[in-house]
This record gives sequence, structure tokens and C-alpha cells, in this order.
Amino acid sequence: MNLAQVFFFLCAAGTLVGAIAAVASKNPIRGALGLMVMIMGIAALYLGLGAQFLAAIQLIVYAGAVVVLFLFVIMLLGPDATSATDMRGLAPRVLAGVLFAVTGGAAISLTIAVSKHHMIPRVGPDFGGVDAFGRELFSTGIVPFELSSALLMVSVIGAIAIARGKHGGLPGELKSADEIRASLAAQATSSEEHG
Amino acid sequence: MGLVFALSPLLIIAVGALLLMMAEVFFKQRNGLALGATLVFATAGAFAGSIWMVGVENLPGIEALSPWLITDRFTLFFDMILCLGGALASLLAGGYLPEHNIDRGEFYSLLLFATFGAMMLAGSGDLLTVFLGLETMSLGAYALTAFRRASPRSIEGALKYYLLGSFAAAVLIYGFALIYGATGHTDLAGITQVMASGKAEMPLMLMALGLVFVGLVFKVSGVPFHMWTPDAYEGAPTPATTYMAVAVKSGGFAMMLRVLLTVFGDAQSMSWSSGWPPAMAMVAVLTMTVANLVAGRQESVKRMLAYSSIAHAGYLLVGVVATMRSQTQASAAVMFYLLTYTVSTAGAFGALILCGSRGAEAVSYEDLAGLGRRHPAAALPFALFLLSLAGIPPTAGFFGKWFVFHAAIDGGFYALTIIAFINSVIGAYYYLRVLVYMYMREPAAGAPVAIPMKSGYVTAALVLSAILVIALGLAPAGTLDMAVQAATHSAG
Repeated sequence: MNLAQVFFFLCAAGTLVGAIAAVASKNPIRGALGLMVMIMGIAALYLGLGAQFLAAIQLIVYAGAVVVLFLFVIMLLGPDATSATDMRGLAPRVLAGVLFAVTGGAAISLTIAVSKHHMIPRVGPDFGGVDAFGRELFSTGIVPFELSSALLMVSVIGAIAIARGKHGGLPGELKSADEIRASLAAQATSSEEHG
Repeated sequence: MGLVFALSPLLIIAVGALLLMMAEVFFKQRNGLALGATLVFATAGAFAGSIWMVGVENLPGIEALSPWLITDRFTLFFDMILCLGGALASLLAGGYLPEHNIDRGEFYSLLLFATFGAMMLAGSGDLLTVFLGLETMSLGAYALTAFRRASPRSIEGALKYYLLGSFAAAVLIYGFALIYGATGHTDLAGITQVMASGKAEMPLMLMALGLVFVGLVFKVSGVPFHMWTPDAYEGAPTPATTYMAVAVKSGGFAMMLRVLLTVFGDAQSMSWSSGWPPAMAMVAVLTMTVANLVAGRQESVKRMLAYSSIAHAGYLLVGVVATMRSQTQASAAVMFYLLTYTVSTAGAFGALILCGSRGAEAVSYEDLAGLGRRHPAAALPFALFLLSLAGIPPTAGFFGKWFVFHAAIDGGFYALTIIAFINSVIGAYYYLRVLVYMYMREPAAGAPVAIPMKSGYVTAALVLSAILVIALGLAPAGTLDMAVQAATHSAG
């Protein structure tokens, strides 16, 4: 076993431990930190492939933004906002877990089976570097890159539209016929009382 | 130039959306935004039509976009349907939003960008652009649903739609990842090639098919993945509901036809014994039956129309099943049906908007009682669009159903056609029930009645869709011929 393999197994073990902690821990903060460990493990695996850029992006986006966002939400709600003893819905949760494990297991075993009689192509020496990534993004991938700006645009406008709705003007309320009838009846009775 | 011309429908929508946002910031008057959005949609649709007339084969340089975006007659036909749906929705919004005091300019930008996504979806030739287009369209639709922020119902519908939609998108992209793993391609043409040569890893491909199938059926709200639809459609402001029922559904069907008929269009995946058609037929039967039975029990007309749109997705899925035997005829029938469904549904929701005014939105059947006598001008178009939804000649809806059922019979799906036919009879019950209330009932003494609003925008939308409903019902041949051309050129 050479050094690269030792590095790989260490990172893989760290990733697995983090993933299990993220799923299994009852404390949400511990869960989020487990997620962070997993993400850092994956970033280290990218480093092992020589993909510095992917590793950096993985850290910045996932550890830097996503997990921090999780932590913010948990802190806002308070760490004990969850009900640890909630046993309702246990059966569907277990069922979903089993279903997911079976699907995932099947996918993994199939992939291993496939890789036995097909060589899995090795990544090139410049895989995941800034150069290769940038060249790919701005040459072959320019069309989806430009199109994704529409995705970002619509999410920004959508967020503004929803956020402004709370303050902008008197919002129209959707009233069902029953609500209208009830309010009319209330008016009628109050006018009778006054009369 | 060919490249810019080929992209012009997308470019016009995107630039138009940005300009409208600027206009909203710099001009105090908001009345013109709806007109502006409608004009942007009309221009984009007109450009799609002119590309159609010039002929996509006469455009030099469009290979530069491949494999990401495909400009063929299939794309252009859907571009025109989507622009029509978007234009009708923005006209309705021009009347509805000021009336109900939620007149904010973002609505039109969201409509335009969501349509951009839907057009991207219709023209995508790669799983990556499929997903980008789908998310652009869906994010716009989520935000439109939550647009009436102060209403708990709107927020509830939007949250359900958003969460379930995100799960469905995750399932879909899981399937896409497996397709990439099995074939080594993300472009549809490359996947088709690998599948045809038999080099794809079949067990992986089957799992991918299952996951992609779920994602696709969710997006067109087929049963059993329809749970979000009634809540989202009821909670959303009615123009947003119109848009979701019309354009988002058309985008979903464009994606379904494109992905199923290319990636899973090989002989084995299309066969009855080992492919997707039996599962799709099952979903179609469930969708029609459940939606029609539940729709008949609704007391809110808006919710009834939501279930009716699920039922129409069921009829459309019958057409998708029929692509197994006669790909061109059946997909042409589906596309024609989408057009007739677009004008009838937009008209029906528009008439519902017209029947209500501030604080007294027409929602239940009782609200509409006696409307035919009090306000015949609001009741008459409503009746026309409901007859078209029920599929009664000489309206557009009749020929839509006729061609889909015809394709199903030609494909030998007799049982499926009979179930679809029985379902459209059940459907006629609840459409006609509205007519009974409008023309044969009087409101109970002292009960509140809906007062129709006055709006040039809504009237324009109703006139436009009424003309199309009657025109497509009297002379469907030319449009059907276009749909056949679009379907012919989509293969390959």
C-alpha cells in the first residue's frame, strides 16, 4: 500500500464517519458538523485526484455556504427545536431508508459489476484544475453556462417577489364564499343588535 | 446571423424581461407592464413563426448550439404554444393584479423568465439543458404561486409545490446521472446512439428509466404524483394558476416527448412487454379516473378547474402511450391537444377572473348562480370555454380529444380509449354543472353574489382565446398539419 492509497482510505473513512454522524446524531448541530466533516473528506478526495479547483469549490460552496446556512437556521430555531422522541412516522421513515439503501446498494453493486468488464476511464492529468475547468466552461459548455444565468435571474426575482409581497401595499386576501358569507352574517347580526 | 435568428425567440423573451424590470423601476405607472409583457410574448411567438416559415434547414450556423439547444419544428411549435400561454396569462394578470391589489411588476418578469425556461426545455438536446430549463421554469412557477404572500393559502400551496417539486427534480437528476453512467453521454443524440448499438448497461438504464419516469410524470401532475396540484393551483393568484395549468404543463409535455422518445425511444424501451408504455398507460388511467371523480365533488370552481387540468393531463398521457405504435401521429395529436387545451383553459380561468372583483372573487358554484341573467357578457365566454374543455363540437376541445383518441385507436389501445371516453363523459358532468348554476339557478335570497370586474386586459384575453377556440374547432386542418410537421421533424 503506497502513500496515495493510505491517503485515499483515510479520507474515505473520514467521509463515511461524517456521513453517518450527519444522519444518526440526534443533536442537529452535531449533524451539521458531521455533514461538514463529510464535505471536507470529499474535498480531500478531490485533492488526491489532483483536482485543486474542485476541492476549493467544494469547500467554499458546501462547507462555506451550505453548512453555514444550515447552522444559521438551527441557531435561529434553537438547537432543541426538534422533538427527539417523535415516534410517529417511524414506519414510513424506516421504509424510505430501506428503499433508498436498496436502490443505492443496487446502483453501487451494478457500477462495480460494470467496472469489471469495462475499464473505467482514468481522469486526465489536468482534471479538475482551474485551466481545464475554465476552458471547458467557456468553450464547449458556453451555452448551458449562459443559460444558467436565466436560472439565477429567476431565483433572484422570485425571492424579491416573495419578500416584497409581505410589505407592498394592502395584499388582497383570497376569500372563500363561506368566509364572505360568515362576515356578512356577522355584519347583519351586529346591525340587528344596534337596531 | 442564422444563429441569432435561431435564438431570437429566447433572446426576445430574456431581453424583454430585463427591459420590463427596468421599466418598473423608472416609471411610476404600472398599467402598461401587462401590455409590455404581452407584446414581448407576441414578438417572440412571431419570431418563432417566422423561423418556421423560413425553414430551420435554411439557417446556417445553428450547429454551433448543438448539442445543447436544438432548433427544429418541434421546438418552434412548442415555442408558439408557450408564448401564447404566456401572453394570455399576462393579459389576465393585467386585469387581475390591480383589481386584487397585488400589482407588482415582478409578476411579469417571473412569467417571462419561467417561459424562457420552458422554451429552453422544449429546445433542449442535452440532459444538462433539460435540467436547467426545467429548474428555470419551476422556480418561476414556485414564486408565482407564492406571489400573494399575505394569504396563508398561497404560501401553503407554494411550499407544497416547492418541496415536492424539488424532490421530483432530485429524482429526475438521479435518473439522469444513471443514464450518464450507463451510456457515457448526456446529449440525447449520443444516448440514442449508444442505446441503439446495444452497448448501454441495461440494468442501470432500467433504473434510470424508472427514476426519470417518476420525475416526468410529476411535472405534468399525473396521479399518483398530483398531490401538490390542487393546493398550488387554488392558492396561487388566478393568472399564475392559468400560467401553471397552461405553459408549465406544456413545457412538461415537451420534456416528456423529447426525453422519452429519444432516450427511451428504442424498440425495447418502447415495447409493451419490457418498456415504459404499460406503466404510462396505468398512470394515464389513474390520472383520468381519479381527477375526474374528485373534480365532480369540488365546491370551488377554481379547485374543480385544477382537477380538470389533471384530468386533461391524463388524456394527454393516453396520446403519449400511443406514440408506441405511431410516433408521428400520436405526438402530433398530443401537441395539437396542448394547443386546444391552452386556449380553453386560459379562457376558462380568464372567465372566472372576470366573474369576480375585489374582495368578492368568484370561487364556488353558488357565487356563479344566476350569472347568465345578471351578466350575460361574462357568462357567455365562460360557457364557451367549459364546452370546449368538455370536448363538445364545434369547439377546439372536441378536435383535441378526437385526434388523441383517434391515435390511440389506430395504435390498437381500445381499452385505454374506452376508459378515456368514459372519463370525458364524467368530465362533462362537472363542466355542465357550472352552466346549470349560471343559467338555471338563482342565488339564494341574501346570499353574496360575485360582481364581475371591468378590465380591458381580461376582455382582450377572453376575446383572443374565444376566437382561437372557435377557429380551431371549425378549421383544425392547418394547425394539425403544422403539428404533424413538428412531430415528423422531432425524431432524430
